[in-house]
Amino acid sequence: MGYLRRLPRFDYLAPRTVDEACSALAERRGDARLFAGGTDLVLQMKRREITPRAIIGLKGVASLSSIRAQPGGLAIGAMATFGAIESSALVREKYDFLCETAAAIGSPEIRAVATVGGNLSGALPCADFPAPLMTLGAVVRLRSVRGERALALEDFFMGFAETAVAPDEILTEIELPVRSGFSAGAYLKFQDRHAMDMTTTGVAAFVTWDRERGLIGDVRIALSVSGPVPLRVKNAEAALRGRRLTEEALAEAGLLACREAQPRASWRARKEFRRELIGVLTRRALRQAGDKARAAAERGNA
Amino acid sequence: MSVQACGDYAIIGKPVPKKDAWIKVTGEAKYADDLFLAGMLHGKLLRSPHPHAKISHIDTSRAEKLAGVRAVITGKDFPGVKYGNMPQTRDYLPLAIDKVRYIGDEVAAVAAIDEEIAEEALDLIRVEYEPLPAVFDAEEAMKPGAPQLHDHAANNMSAETAFQFGDVAKGFAESDYLQEDLFETQPIKQGMLEPHACIGQWDETGKITLWASKQSPYVVWKQLSMGLGIETSRIRVIQTYVGGGFSGGKQEAMPMDFCAVVLSKKCGRPVKFVHNMDEVLTIGHMRHPMKLWLRTGVKKDGTLLAQHLKIIADGGAYSSIGQLSMYLPGAMLNLPYRVQHVKYEAYRAYTNNGFCGALRGHTIPQVCFARDSQLDLIAEKLGLDPIDIRLKNGLRPGEVTPNGFRLGTFGFTECVEKAMEASGWKEKRGNLPRYRGIGMGCGSLVSGARVMGHSASTAQVNVHEDGTVALVTGSTDVGQGADTVLSMIAAEVLGVGLDDIRFALVDTDMTPADPGTFSSRVTFWTGNAVKIAAEDARRQLAEIAAEKLKAEIDDVVFRDRQVYVRNDPQRRLRFDELVRLAQHRLGKVIMGKGSYTSGEALIDFRTGYGNMSPAYTPSACVVEVEVDPQTGQVTVAGVWGAHDCGFPLNPMLVKGQVLGATVMGIGQALYENLIRVDGKVMNPSFRDYKMPLTEDMPKLANVGHVNVITNDPSGPFGAKEAGEGAAAGVIAAVANAVYNATGVRFRSLPFSPDKILFALKESGGKGGKAQVQSQSFT
Amino acid sequence: MKPLSPVSLKVNGDAYELSIPAWRTLLEVLREDLSLTGTKRSCQEGQCGACTVLLDGRAIYSCLFLAVEAQGKEILTIEGLARSAGALDPIQKAFVETGAVQCGFCTPGLIMAAKSFLDENPSPSEEEVRRATVGHLCRCTGYFQIIEAVLAAARERAGKGAPA
Repeated sequence: MGYLRRLPRFDYLAPRTVDEACSALAERRGDARLFAGGTDLVLQMKRREITPRAIIGLKGVASLSSIRAQPGGLAIGAMATFGAIESSALVREKYDFLCETAAAIGSPEIRAVATVGGNLSGALPCADFPAPLMTLGAVVRLRSVRGERALALEDFFMGFAETAVAPDEILTEIELPVRSGFSAGAYLKFQDRHAMDMTTTGVAAFVTWDRERGLIGDVRIALSVSGPVPLRVKNAEAALRGRRLTEEALAEAGLLACREAQPRASWRARKEFRRELIGVLTRRALRQAGDKARAAAERGNA
Repeated sequence: MSVQACGDYAIIGKPVPKKDAWIKVTGEAKYADDLFLAGMLHGKLLRSPHPHAKISHIDTSRAEKLAGVRAVITGKDFPGVKYGNMPQTRDYLPLAIDKVRYIGDEVAAVAAIDEEIAEEALDLIRVEYEPLPAVFDAEEAMKPGAPQLHDHAANNMSAETAFQFGDVAKGFAESDYLQEDLFETQPIKQGMLEPHACIGQWDETGKITLWASKQSPYVVWKQLSMGLGIETSRIRVIQTYVGGGFSGGKQEAMPMDFCAVVLSKKCGRPVKFVHNMDEVLTIGHMRHPMKLWLRTGVKKDGTLLAQHLKIIADGGAYSSIGQLSMYLPGAMLNLPYRVQHVKYEAYRAYTNNGFCGALRGHTIPQVCFARDSQLDLIAEKLGLDPIDIRLKNGLRPGEVTPNGFRLGTFGFTECVEKAMEASGWKEKRGNLPRYRGIGMGCGSLVSGARVMGHSASTAQVNVHEDGTVALVTGSTDVGQGADTVLSMIAAEVLGVGLDDIRFALVDTDMTPADPGTFSSRVTFWTGNAVKIAAEDARRQLAEIAAEKLKAEIDDVVFRDRQVYVRNDPQRRLRFDELVRLAQHRLGKVIMGKGSYTSGEALIDFRTGYGNMSPAYTPSACVVEVEVDPQTGQVTVAGVWGAHDCGFPLNPMLVKGQVLGATVMGIGQALYENLIRVDGKVMNPSFRDYKMPLTEDMPKLANVGHVNVITNDPSGPFGAKEAGEGAAAGVIAAVANAVYNATGVRFRSLPFSPDKILFALKESGGKGGKAQVQSQSFT
Repeated sequence: MKPLSPVSLKVNGDAYELSIPAWRTLLEVLREDLSLTGTKRSCQEGQCGACTVLLDGRAIYSCLFLAVEAQGKEILTIEGLARSAGALDPIQKAFVETGAVQCGFCTPGLIMAAKSFLDENPSPSEEEVRRATVGHLCRCTGYFQIIEAVLAAARERAGKGAPA
């Protein structure tokens, strides 16, 4: 019977460096799970959905939690907690809507421990970071004993709790490009209560303003909990590029986003309800991001 | 009984901190799960995965062989005697014997050296089930041919009630307008933070001790006796701090209690059981989901003439207190409005869902939701103001309702007026921006009842030579403040400090028998008993003081730990000196005794007639909401409640009770729903069974609570209940506010964003059609 | 599988050398191995806040945290806040005086969350208090008196100078 239980038995490994973590993972091939913040994994283990023989705890690998500027833009360590992102001056400066995304997840207690890497790697449908990061063209870095590779976040998600990460790979960093021109993002999500709930549906929008022509220069829209994996709604994006930020344009984008999405029916929320939310949240997220980007352009500060 | 002006009291009426607050804020208060006895084992329960099945065979041998397991028991380890709350409907067993009736029904139990091993042992118990067809809908369950849950209940009829007062046909015939609606309510869980927990011990002399988080330890004591087939004198129930009750499992003996003691017998060690929260949310004990058909006839000036209410309730797999659950809505339909003709029928069906029983407010919030929603509908149809129609029909003190409720104090009018005032109703109603609305809901409750064993409360006041007092009752504090309020009563009477009173936790070996903590009875019934007991002790002391101080007994004053002569306060001695004088010099140990019962005749369940309670409490609640029309999300922007508690013995604690109950009502209105699919609870988690959080609450500035003071002469220092009544009207207030905001009327709970959004889309904005078709009933 | 791991924990200023299974949560170790039962076991899913303790000053859900990962950190539980009724922490005192305690089961977790919050944000707005305590369920009070208590504690702490 699926009642909550005490944790199953496991060995606990505590590597100090990424290399050590990779070696441990390679050795325990298939048998071990990486343990980031643990807020999702502990629950999955208590429910016996997952029973790894070993846990590789990453909290001791200091290099994984750094948030730093780099020539190409910004690099957020996989072990950066939501709380660290929320309060990072650097993230606020570069992509403030990521701070807002982090701030809106769970409670202070969750944010003190849960990590962005865990949020991505777990690939649970209700995860909030995939969509906003996708609108930024995020690239994740993966490392193993075999070497290192980069993977666009858009190619990262394969299905429910399934990613393109190989069994011996560790997600180490999320790279974000330098923000171009006058741009801003927004991630809006719906929950039944005003906090703590699993996201019913979420929409991220990132707008780059064309200052010369007073139009939407570029736009990226991504949805969470609206399909088997987080998805970019490219038809909606295409329809908006080069247009003015009008209610009509937004409504059209919302409609297109709804059409591209494949929200699921579940006892948690009806498909029809999710569809409505996609439309509404798309319009609102675009409005918020668009207004902010335009305001930045008008002020002249990128 | 004369009532002093509030200003004369030393302690009564003051917002003093709860007596046990300090040990709770330091983490020192020991709840059942915090107790560890030497050699203690840990218990776990095996639950049925089937909603309805015969048990053909249980093989516990592999579980017994697991290292660390000390014993495994099944239904056969008990005498097979059914226990329960009401004589006619006892259908609980400690562990299932031949049949399971809902997913979660307890089948076996294990005691092991730690929880992990106990959990593993459950996996090794092999139960062979023969699944049976199951039924999950009350109306389906009552049809001929439906799967039968209990042999004794044809057509799964768990309880039926029908009564009539006056002549509804005549009333409807005389009405200018008839309103008829179908309302639906959802299953609601208690949601307390402390899961059920107990430690059972069966010692070598055959004495059974159960430490448990229980609000009514004597109910548990009697039920244990029944289910174990053992005389009550061999059983001792010791109440631990209760981390929230709200009735349910903490109100009764549960399988864990039985299993803890029987496993202890087998192992020779104490055995602790603690439910995980998902177990708590899966098992029975919840508020009845029901369908309520309500037809109301009114005159065009808004005078209520007749009401016909029919209820079909999904009672789940077992009775709990089904008979009472079905009696209450019809009874409480008679309050707080005057209705001459009332007809009521209620049916509680067994289904293969978790069973239902009492939960703060019992089945009263559902009827108030239906009735007070409908009142707004009627008012609108007739072009009347919703406040006016309420005031017009509101009962007044001294009236007697058709079903025999005799109202003493009843400040209904004041409740409505104060709620209006506090909320700024006049300024807001009709003037709020679009999608913002304000609504009122009213209700009423009892202050304890003389129904099925809620017979009397008794108190004992032991006065010690150091001037402190041990207050011993059979009542429990479940967070509501009984420990403090009862102590305040004793302290006021004896003229000592609140800290001088020690309030005993209940121990059935030593404290007086008591029905328990429910029906909002403690302040009134036990409070009266405490007052009488304290007065008894005081009189004993006064006699001695009068002699010593050479005064008349009636002139002896007890105050500030002093005893003095009324008009000559120089003639005095200290309270503790007086006690020592009595005890040492005169050989008189001072003990006061008091007992209280309401003196009312028992309710005749066949006719539904009788004065259920010595005092009734009306309430009015106003809620202001903001609705996001594009998502359907409701935000509660303000809530104001006015409740007639007679006299607030401790205003800070009354405020906590009223506001806490109000928020539970908001939870039921907007967020909470135990979702079952084919008998399986889909959301047995606080993540998905959504109770209100801080961010769902309005700003402090938009929250108001007003005490309506009516000084009831039957209550201790004029007090009546404050535990459940305030919540009765909240759901209707939310319904009416949402209607005011959106023009859409919701008759089914909860008012989820999905429902609201689609209703708005359908109606195209304000002034939409009814959301649920009303169905006629004959 | 290694049955026991050596772990050094620093709890309320006291050092403990333990030998525990790696799969124990911090909540379980605090309650069962160290007899610090002030921190409560409720939902065990990180939804209710009854298990909140401070880890290096930050509020966390101890039911979701492995005890082995708490090594080398300063853990503060409700027991570490005050040792006797005469010397209650201002937050504890405010909870007592404002009616924020009814059944008391949510209380220790909330007080710890409030402590972490006020240490970081000594003069918060009501909105900020609400946000800081959103990870806590209380079924008894309806939250209003709890929010009032935290605001009162903030004022008291501000009056008395730097937080403890």
